[in-house]
Amino acid sequence: MVSHLLLALLLQGAGAPSSRALTPRDSAFHALNRLAYGPRPGEVDSVARFGVMRWIERQLDPGRISNAGLAERERQFQLLDLSRDDLARLYLEAQRARQERLRADSMARAGADAADQTPEALRARRIAGEFQELAVVRAALSERQLEEVMVDFWTNHFNVFFGKGADRFLTPSYIEQTIRPNALGKFADLLIATAKSPAMLFYLDNAESVAPGSVPPQLARLQARTQFGLSPWRRVFLDPMGPMRADSMRQRALQRLPKGLNENYARELMELHSLGVDGGYTQQDVINVARIFTGWSLERPQQGAGFVFNDWAHDYGEKIVLGVKFPAGHGMDEGLRLLKLFANEHATMHHLGRQLCARFVADDPPDGCVDDAVAAWHRSGGDIREVLRAIFRGPDFWAPQNVDAKLKTPLEFVVSAVRAVGADPDTTPRLAQVVARLGEPLYQHVAPDGYPEREEDWVNSGALLARMNAAVALASGKLPGVTINLDAIAPASADPDQLIAAIDDKIFAGRLSPHTRQVIRDQLADVPDPEQARTLAIGLALGGPDFQRQ
Amino acid sequence: MTINRRVFVKSGGIALFSLGLDPLFLARAAFASVRPTTGPPDRPILVCLFQRGAVDGLNMIVPHGDGLYYQERPRIAVPAKDVVDLDGYFGLHPSLAALKPLWDNKSLAAVHAIGSPDSTRSHFDAQDYMESGTPGVKATPDGWLNRYCQHDREHQNTPFRAVAFGPQLPRVLAGSAPSLAIDDLQAFGIRVPQEAARDRLARAFEALYEGSATGLLASSSQEGFEAMQMLKQVNPSQYQPANGADYPRARLGRSLLQIAQLIKAKIGVQIAFADVTGWDTHVNQGASEGQLAARLKELGDGLAAFAQDLGEQMRDVVVLTMSEFGRTIRENGNSGTDHGHATAMLVLGGTVNGGQVLGKWPGLGPEKRFEGRDVAVTTDFRDLFGEILARHLGAADLAPVFPGYAVDPTRFLGAIRA
Repeated sequence: MVSHLLLALLLQGAGAPSSRALTPRDSAFHALNRLAYGPRPGEVDSVARFGVMRWIERQLDPGRISNAGLAERERQFQLLDLSRDDLARLYLEAQRARQERLRADSMARAGADAADQTPEALRARRIAGEFQELAVVRAALSERQLEEVMVDFWTNHFNVFFGKGADRFLTPSYIEQTIRPNALGKFADLLIATAKSPAMLFYLDNAESVAPGSVPPQLARLQARTQFGLSPWRRVFLDPMGPMRADSMRQRALQRLPKGLNENYARELMELHSLGVDGGYTQQDVINVARIFTGWSLERPQQGAGFVFNDWAHDYGEKIVLGVKFPAGHGMDEGLRLLKLFANEHATMHHLGRQLCARFVADDPPDGCVDDAVAAWHRSGGDIREVLRAIFRGPDFWAPQNVDAKLKTPLEFVVSAVRAVGADPDTTPRLAQVVARLGEPLYQHVAPDGYPEREEDWVNSGALLARMNAAVALASGKLPGVTINLDAIAPASADPDQLIAAIDDKIFAGRLSPHTRQVIRDQLADVPDPEQARTLAIGLALGGPDFQRQ
Repeated sequence: MTINRRVFVKSGGIALFSLGLDPLFLARAAFASVRPTTGPPDRPILVCLFQRGAVDGLNMIVPHGDGLYYQERPRIAVPAKDVVDLDGYFGLHPSLAALKPLWDNKSLAAVHAIGSPDSTRSHFDAQDYMESGTPGVKATPDGWLNRYCQHDREHQNTPFRAVAFGPQLPRVLAGSAPSLAIDDLQAFGIRVPQEAARDRLARAFEALYEGSATGLLASSSQEGFEAMQMLKQVNPSQYQPANGADYPRARLGRSLLQIAQLIKAKIGVQIAFADVTGWDTHVNQGASEGQLAARLKELGDGLAAFAQDLGEQMRDVVVLTMSEFGRTIRENGNSGTDHGHATAMLVLGGTVNGGQVLGKWPGLGPEKRFEGRDVAVTTDFRDLFGEILARHLGAADLAPVFPGYAVDPTRFLGAIRA
């Protein structure tokens, strides 16, 4: 411990961890690759001059970094002007228009296709495209880079699937109000925020989990008014993939009401969100956690689709979880108590520490890194900022064998390429589509474990070819909605040697392999037009193997 | 909001672009030596089609001999006079008429009342379970077809061993064994319009990766470039289906055509996968004609064209259709059907014990229904998938393919000739 602090002080004193084999520029490059989505032209030098550790400290305190450029761009995203209510209404309108069109055109394919082309459906789709693109644009343009990296980390850690019914309108506010404000805060706050978020309650079915035998107050009303049909919220939520408005549906309303426990959230809460799969819990713990969360649900879309605690659905009996007694007679408070308990379990610290080290240091993180993270967690009561600081100050983060050792995910690859060519993306969802094509359609991971972090999950032959195509398309300025600035790397008049030197310097901080330099040099031999040469050289550099790593 | 695959498929990816390369640049293209094709010997091939959205098994393989079927579906039942009878009780939807000759020559079987032991009626959960091969377990990281490839090392791994048609690798093929996602054969590879520029860029990237990539980056890029080379010889744009086969124009037809093309090219395809969408017929499903009929026509005509195109080669091929669950026995108030439980699957090919509807039929009686409304599952889908892996592909050990499930040959339906 003491030695780590000493080391950190030494590193800070030196302005960069130059006591290692890394030069100040190497260190700046490494920090920009891991805490940020790669350097923009000139950024390696500016961070090295500023002092790498100082830059890291700034990134850990994003509120103090001016982000005017991004704010300007964000104003172009209509999505950000829409509340959860607005989005819910949009979604319901699109569904209604689709059903009306389907009823109007009974003729088969034409009907189904036309139903997907209603103005409402197109609007909903455009908003959805904006939502995905916004993540890419923020990652590319934000000055608060570490915050964006952590938003991506938590979005995957607390994954929800945009395509599941109501999550089509719940996910944007989930990202804006649940994930983003807590990305560098206390883990317990984040855990509680996700537990109470409509998007998660719907995604992992807790909204449907009720104490066996409990009777909703709506039941009586529903029985009395069957001729008015199902409440719209049942219609949308119970059968999200399709309309439920039929007479026969009304008869089934009672059958379809939640009848008992749903263990889905309870299990994933322990396995994925907190303790980890080896966290020492039993099936009985899963059941008791599910009982504790009975009644945690959400309102109808018309009422705002916000969090609601239905005390009629709650199991007020006694429960024991991980040997801890939760006495009878408690309502929502016992769920909060449980989440705080989980947030401070050693298994949780280890699980999360390991995941953070896997993200920032190496796919198979060194034990020392995980130990540092756990120690910082203990010290700070689960302050994410302190845990990260410990990782960034630890020797493993700076160990030469861990530099350039991680493969970029599709999002990291696309965003780092966009930054490398000084590109300025607008609101068209083109970049999000490229990320999707490379295998990572944002918010579309179906399973609750989120997108993976390991190299083998992302490298396959088709995906690599797609990365090469994306690199060439970007460098040649052929991606609609993305304005590139190759002059920031090298002037169009540069001769081949100057060009390669500039690419090596600006994009790779001088770490481009001799082989890659040579291959690009050979390719340029018979390209007399310097602009074409520049496009080709940058396309090859971004699509080549060096740029796949960070 | 209908954000489905369509969003990504339609607008997805990168439009074809031109680098605007000048002739001098193109002129240097010194073509890489063509790799010899080591055509692997004929070996069994499995083609899987996933009917996403839950196909109405009862209107696909129609129990026209059961009065309850007509009683429960006054508006959407297929009239007995239209059904293509198979065995006096079951019959094909008229849109599948093109498959009748394959039934008659015993290369087509149907399996009814098949599905998952998990009771979920969520499309996404149920698809996930059918692809992971582990119903009820969400944490399974890979798909059952990929696990088969991981554990069956008998077969030579070529870049084309497991190919999915679509922009992304489906869950069923996700995992550590190499598999290829191809949106369109003609667009696979380095996408520049001029062939010379394409070749040159491909060789430049190949040189880059040969020299500086290590580990997985090196092997995967090599597979990619090999696949490109192999495809170049296949010449996807010049393909002419054999025996007058006429594929439907829509996406499924194109996927099946390209699968047939890859099989004929003998470049090592063992598993091919494609999605067929549009089965979630909650509203205006139709009966002999209509929405579902149109989807079935594309499926039936596509499969028939595929079998015709492959001709003799169908003896090595089995095509399996699957869908996450079936639909309610009773029609709903919108002349459609809602999410149900068991459905029907088709098995087509040279090694198939065809000409029969397999599986224990539970009947439609109210007391026989699952949760009082759906066709009950009498065959766990893993028993059919396992039988095909074991008896058609020759898988020796199914334990790692379906973890947590003891695949028992005594439960095999006899879909594949032993």
